[in-house]
Amino acid sequence: MRLEKCWFCSSTVYPGHGIQFVRNDAKIFRFCRSKCHKNFKMKRNPRKVKWTKAFRRLHGKDMTQDSTFEFERKRNRPERYNRNVTMETLKAIKKIDKIRVAREARHHTMRMKGKKGMEQKAAARELEQDISLVKAPLALREKSSLTLSKIKVKASQPQAEYPMEE
Amino acid sequence: MATRVQFENCCDIGVFSKLTNAYCLVAIGGSENFYSIFEGELADAIPVVKTSIAGTRIIGRLCAGNKNGLLVPHTTTDQEVQHLRNSLPDQVVVQRIEERLSALGNCISCNDYVALTHPDLDRETEELVADILGVEVFRQTVAGNILVGSYCSFTNKGGLVPPHTSIEDLDELSTLLQVPLVAGTVNRGSEVISAGMIVNDWTAFCGSDTTATELSVIESVFKLNESQPSMIVDEMRKSLIDSYV
Repeated sequence: MRLEKCWFCSSTVYPGHGIQFVRNDAKIFRFCRSKCHKNFKMKRNPRKVKWTKAFRRLHGKDMTQDSTFEFERKRNRPERYNRNVTMETLKAIKKIDKIRVAREARHHTMRMKGKKGMEQKAAARELEQDISLVKAPLALREKSSLTLSKIKVKASQPQAEYPMEE
Repeated sequence: MATRVQFENCCDIGVFSKLTNAYCLVAIGGSENFYSIFEGELADAIPVVKTSIAGTRIIGRLCAGNKNGLLVPHTTTDQEVQHLRNSLPDQVVVQRIEERLSALGNCISCNDYVALTHPDLDRETEELVADILGVEVFRQTVAGNILVGSYCSFTNKGGLVPPHTSIEDLDELSTLLQVPLVAGTVNRGSEVISAGMIVNDWTAFCGSDTTATELSVIESVFKLNESQPSMIVDEMRKSLIDSYV
């Protein structure tokens, strides 16, 4: 039993799922579900379909080159079974998974960095330019209190509180 | 000496087994008869390994190898490849090959020095064959058949080719392979030599349909007779009498 990757979306195909298509040139295409299979039959290029891993890798949304990917490569020359090596490998698999997830999270934060600043700037500009979408320009000119103009107010010392009545 | 064998009542034993100078691969049959014949004959000299390839029993036609290495197709599962690696001696390199023509036993025929391959084999596969099996590779056809792995069978001592091979072809192949070649049949006139018999430098196994004449041809071309007179009498008796196990 081997957990293969879907040819279209690159997700893992577990036993009992999906369809395997063998073309006349003996190339095998594995699909995780009918969605991917139907997209393949429509001759769609996975590099252009937004939700696939191929697209995300190509457009820099997901991590492309990393040393953790080397561990998952298919190997064609086996090594003799060694119990210690197997035990170490099983422990390493867990650790490598954790590291890979951490690196992907870091890649995501790096990608999203500066988003907040951009959003603030865009909001400020919108407020300046497009306030007319909210309030009519005539109304703004009449009642200047409705505009949000920048006034410099000097912060004064807290005065004694006036009595509430009279 | 050549022994007659059957795999579950089928005489094409070259389909279900692979024999080299360093190991023997046997398919998993319903009963242990097939395996025990090989074990009885070969166990003290080389490891006899029961295996499947890609979950199938037609291992003789799917894999190709000699004493230096074993090549298996890309359809071989990880567990099978690991089993082969664990069971075979360390000098034998087990390698899985990504190749469009996945029945390597039909495409590659080799001994320890030379290999004949299917003319349409990939260049990378050819390089892998030369590298892992340590052989010189020739892209050739045998008697007009491109499936050289099934239609001819040769060892370091000699070789057998299908009956209607022309004399020129025979001479050409003989010079390429540097071994004496003879045109013959196996299993009562079957031309698919390599599917009907398996052979290495000191033993051969044939399907039980093989006639005494065919068996004597095999024994003479592959030089399987030991040169002691008593042995000759015993072995000739074995090949002359069509015995049923």
